[in-house]
Amino acid sequence: MPLRNTETRWGGIAQFFHWLIALLIIAQGAIGLTMVELGMTPAKVKVFALHKSIGLTILALGLLRLAWRLGQRAPLDPPMPHWQRNAAKLSHFLLYVLILALPLSGWLFNSAANFPLEWFGLVHVPSLTHGLDPVLKAWALRAHVVLFWLLAGLVVVHVAAALWHHFVHRDNVLLRMLPGFEKRRLARGRGVLQ
Amino acid sequence: MRRMVLIALMLLPLAAFAREWKIDPARSALTFTGTYQDEKFEGRFKRFDAKIDYDPADLAHAKFDVTIDIASVDTANTERDQALPGKDFFDTAQFPRAHFVSTRFRKSADGQVLADGTLSLRGVSKPVTLTVKFVPSGSGATLDVDTTLKRLDFGIGSGDWADTSMIGNDVAVHGHLVLLP
Repeated sequence: MPLRNTETRWGGIAQFFHWLIALLIIAQGAIGLTMVELGMTPAKVKVFALHKSIGLTILALGLLRLAWRLGQRAPLDPPMPHWQRNAAKLSHFLLYVLILALPLSGWLFNSAANFPLEWFGLVHVPSLTHGLDPVLKAWALRAHVVLFWLLAGLVVVHVAAALWHHFVHRDNVLLRMLPGFEKRRLARGRGVLQ
Repeated sequence: MRRMVLIALMLLPLAAFAREWKIDPARSALTFTGTYQDEKFEGRFKRFDAKIDYDPADLAHAKFDVTIDIASVDTANTERDQALPGKDFFDTAQFPRAHFVSTRFRKSADGQVLADGTLSLRGVSKPVTLTVKFVPSGSGATLDVDTTLKRLDFGIGSGDWADTSMIGNDVAVHGHLVLLP
């Protein structure tokens, strides 16, 4: 599999970013929803610290991924109606926005709450505010929650669309983001293109 | 009568030197620096009473007597400030006040004034030594005292919270008092 994108498939780097971020988003959502229910113990503090570290990781990976994405062409889409292409473009754009905005809102909340921030206990991450800011804190928390549910909804749409392409349209939209499968259906995907 | 005057005159120097100060609460602060998740944080006790008798020329009659309202703790973090008065930490329901009283003042080899005393905090009384820096200014003075306490000596952050990799054991305490005549 080439590292760069080709006309028919996403390259190795793009796939690495896609699946790693996908995995981290799912873990992060599960941790986030669980941790807020925990009682005030050191375990809770550690789980929150993990959530923050993963969030910062997603932010960094998201920025690298965006740079990589903008630096080259995406594979060609199979033929589809205009509205589908536009819906796909819009949802991908929003996914990128949320991958960056969600960690940022968490970082802002953490800063305004005046909590420490250490990336996996290794790197100190500076505060975005000058200490405690109760108004900004409440605002950032609300934004964090709303953005999370937006992302959760959009991920469901994204997955459903990929499966719909794969099983209903039987095109290469899902396969071109999967390692392997070079020969089997990609050939058919290319066939559709021609 | 003459004898009484004589005794009074003999006592006069003591009275004159054991100088009692008033505190300017608006410009005075009792602060501390702890460590949480490898980062320093600052806190302060907003309410405390300090009775300061101090004259640098007469340490033998100096006396500090400080009472701290523990529930007035403020570390600029809402969650932490809600946790600190709880049972695991200061337990202010049972121990609302801390108390420091000096027992003697001395000078170290390098001339630094030290105040030995007893700190009672969360039901534990321990000997504590403060470094003392007294700077006269006009008719008043500023008084800066410092010490470092071990939070676990006083059972602050017991049980699971005793883990010093999360909450450091050393807490630097700093008092800055503006003294008025």
